[in-house]
Parts: sequence; C-alpha cells; structure tokens
Amino acid sequence: MAIPEHASYANSDDSGAHRHETAAMSSHPERPVLKAVDLRKRFGSTQAVDGISIEIRPGERVGIVGPNGAGKTTTLLMLMGAIEPDEGSIDLVGHRLPAGRSAAMERVGFAAGYLPLPDRLTVMETLELFATLYGVEAPKDRAEEVLGELGIARLADQRVESLSSGQGTLVGFAKAVIHHPELIVLDEPTASLDPDVAMRVRDRLEHMNAEHRSTLLLTSHDMREVERLTTRVIFLRAGTVIADGPPASVVADAGHPDLETMFLAEAARVRQDAV
Amino acid sequence: MAKRNLRAQTRNPGHWFLLLVLPLVDGLLFGSIGVAFGEGEGPVRLLVTGIMLFHLIWQLTLAGSLGLLEEVWTRNIMNLIATPLTEREFMVSLGVVGLIRTVISVTVISLVGLAFYAVAPDSAGWVLVPSAAILMAFGWVVTLFVVGLTLQYGDSAEVFSWGTLVLLMPLSGFFYPVDSLPPALAAVAQVIPLTHVFEAVRVGLETSRVDWAQLGVAAIGTLVLLGAATWFVDRQLRRFRSEGWVSRFT
Repeated sequence: MAIPEHASYANSDDSGAHRHETAAMSSHPERPVLKAVDLRKRFGSTQAVDGISIEIRPGERVGIVGPNGAGKTTTLLMLMGAIEPDEGSIDLVGHRLPAGRSAAMERVGFAAGYLPLPDRLTVMETLELFATLYGVEAPKDRAEEVLGELGIARLADQRVESLSSGQGTLVGFAKAVIHHPELIVLDEPTASLDPDVAMRVRDRLEHMNAEHRSTLLLTSHDMREVERLTTRVIFLRAGTVIADGPPASVVADAGHPDLETMFLAEAARVRQDAV
Repeated sequence: MAKRNLRAQTRNPGHWFLLLVLPLVDGLLFGSIGVAFGEGEGPVRLLVTGIMLFHLIWQLTLAGSLGLLEEVWTRNIMNLIATPLTEREFMVSLGVVGLIRTVISVTVISLVGLAFYAVAPDSAGWVLVPSAAILMAFGWVVTLFVVGLTLQYGDSAEVFSWGTLVLLMPLSGFFYPVDSLPPALAAVAQVIPLTHVFEAVRVGLETSRVDWAQLGVAAIGTLVLLGAATWFVDRQLRRFRSEGWVSRFT
C-alpha cells in the first residue's frame, strides 16, 4: 500500500489554490485512480471549493475531513461526477469527467450512511439491481456472495424499508462493493452502526484493500474512524486543502495530539471567523 | 431499471388504484354520461373513445413522472448517479413502464366500453393508429417537461405529473368540439396538437374516414413540442450538474 513520503500543513495565512501536491507514489508507474486538478466551484456568492487538487494512487486509503462548510461534500460530489466544477479537471479511474462518467462508474463503488436504499425492494432485489447496473455477470450469485461475506445473508428476502439503520448501512456497503470496484467511495460509512457492525465494515474494507488493492476514499466526521481506516488524510478548510498526509504526520505538524483535537480546533476557528 | 420501476409501482397500492380503478371508474362515468345525455350511440362512442385515449396519454405521463419521483421520494438519485446508468437509459426505462401501464389501462377501459356500452375500442377505425402514436409522443412531451421540473424542484413538481393533462383536457376537445368553448379558449385550443388529434378521431367515429390534414397538423405540432421538451430536459440536466441540484436529493 502506497504511503505518502511526508505530510504537509498549511498555515492560516495561506490563501488561494492548494499548494501541497501529494508527495507520494511518484515512483509508482500505475496511473492514479483519481486525479483532480485545481477544482473550483462557486454557488452564488459562496466559493465552496477553491483550488483543490487531489491525486490518489491504487491501494491508498484516503480520508477527506474538515468542519462543516469546508467543501467536503461538494468535492466528493464533483469527484463522483454529480456536480460539474467551474474550473479544473477530474480523471476518475482513467476516464475524464464528465464525458467518461458512465464508463468510470463501472469501476467505482459508492455508499453513503445517510442515503437510504430504494423502497419496495427486498435486499436481494436491491443488490441484483445494482449488480446489473454495474455490469456484474451472474448478479444473483454475486449478491448472495457479498451478503455472506458481510454476515447478513439472512436479510436477503427482507424489504429494505424494514431494515434497521445499521442493517441498511451494511446493505448499502454491500451494494458499493458488489462489482469489486477499483475505487470505493464512502460518505459517512459507519454512521449509525454499532461497534460490532462497524468493525465488520472496516474488516471488509481492509480485506479488499489488501487482497484486491481496492482504493478507498471516505469522508467522515468520526475522526477515530478516519485514523483507523485511512493511511492518508486530506484536511479541508474553506474549500482548500490545508493538510495532506498520514494522519500521524498531519496532526504532528499541526501541533495537535490527535485528529479529533485538530478537527475541533478547526471547527472552532471556522465559528470564530464567521462571527 | 424498468424492472425496478415496475416492482416499485406494483408494490404500491396507490399505483394499482391509478392503473385499474381509475380507468374502470372513468369508463363507467363517461359511458354513463353518454347514455344519459346523448341521443343514439354516437355520444357514448365519443366519450368512451375519448376517455380511453386520455388514459393512453395520461398513464404514459404518470409512469414517466412518477418513475423519477419514486427515486426522489426514496432519495435514490445519488445512488443511481454513482452507477454507469446514463440519463438516456433511465428515460428508456420510464418509457417501457409507461407503455405497460398504457396497455393495461386502455385494456380496462376497452373492456368496460365493450361490456357495458357495446362500444368497441376500434370504433373510430384506422384513425386510431396514427392518433395513438401522436398521443404517445405528446405524452412523452409532458413527461419530459415534468422530468425537467422535477430535477429543479424535486417532489414539489409532483403536481405537474397529475395536473398537466387535466389542464389540457378541457382545451383539447377530448369529448367535445373546441367550438363549444368560449371563443378565446377555442382559439387557444387550436394551437394544442391534441385538439387536432381528437378532431380527427371524431371524424373517424362519424364517418370512418381518416382526416390526414388534422393528423398532419397534430404530428407537426407534437414534433415541435418534442424538440422543445428535449431541449428543456437537456438544459435542466446541464443545470443539475452545474448548479449542484443533486444536493437537494441527498
């Protein structure tokens, strides 16, 4: 698994575009799984994203964090092709967005802890639907397999609206990995999961990363989860990248004991700036 | 996706009401009005044929707009964007379901007309073939406009899925010549392609003749509107991505 050579932390006087290219992986001949260059996005008078560049190599486990309003969601939605940037370019698993979105999505899996699954379908029907959309051969077999891997085979015939929030999140995760994606994108992946189920998700992610070299990109407000799951953290503030590197290096450079303390400090700073 | 839409709709009791009960009630209602207030079999044939054709277009529109709304209500839009599914494939799935709904509802009304009023579904003759084609294209026009509005306004656009055709119905001569309308509204009716379709159907019912002139006007008008609707949906899809409307659906 590729690890960045160093972390970097921008001080509060830095402005404008992201100045800290990821240091890692220049020795890897493989193409980046994701390469976003100088992304900018404005909504009305709000500059939501202001010059973000991200490059993610195969096998990396990357977390994008930041307080509310930092631009995480907008960035993520741009990287998924759901929002078009005003400026900048995105290459996702070798396809330039937006034209290559459909082809790119064949190799990308997505799940969000806050998004429910479509109503009026059983778990099996849901997974078969998405397996078919992803072009999986034998969708039913693969759906059964992934349910078994997650220990939720018993839920196959249950309607999704009858699932608990934790079960729904697990099925959503199953949907995201059903086609062995090259890149797994998770937004708040373990929100509403109890520790046991959260551990199952983490174990599966680590397994996929180790066995299949799946790349992981996640956003989360749970800093402990980010520290557990990722090998690299991209910290956003006001639409720019202020730190990028291994969690331990990022917090050390910022002078904080851990990621959660760093997050709280940034959140306090944002509140203060808003006053 | 068509299978997903069918499952979602067939497992919703409300959809069965729209698909089976409403056509049944409408068939009985309009057939009975024709018997009660008309003289001879002409009015009954006109009203039953009119409501059958109304449902042909309405069910198609409902399937299209409710298909997208189903994804809005279940917050499934982002899940679908994160798959290889293209907008075109999604719209085709709506069209497939719309066709199925149309066949079912038209069959229900046809059976009601035959069983209770001795009105055969092909009473108007061969004019029904091009008329049905134009009506389905018009139904697609309405669907595209509702889809475009839904992308921008979310489930607030639901009213248009129900109401657009209800608004057009009195102005389109489904059940009476538009000359019966107040003069100002009769003038408005002339620019609606549906008016010319139903005029052609009336001629078919009365004379078994195909009024190609009326159908030609209807076809050209519908094609123009189809172009406008396609442009509108394309524009709304561009705005969906550029203005980040997806956030409204997550």
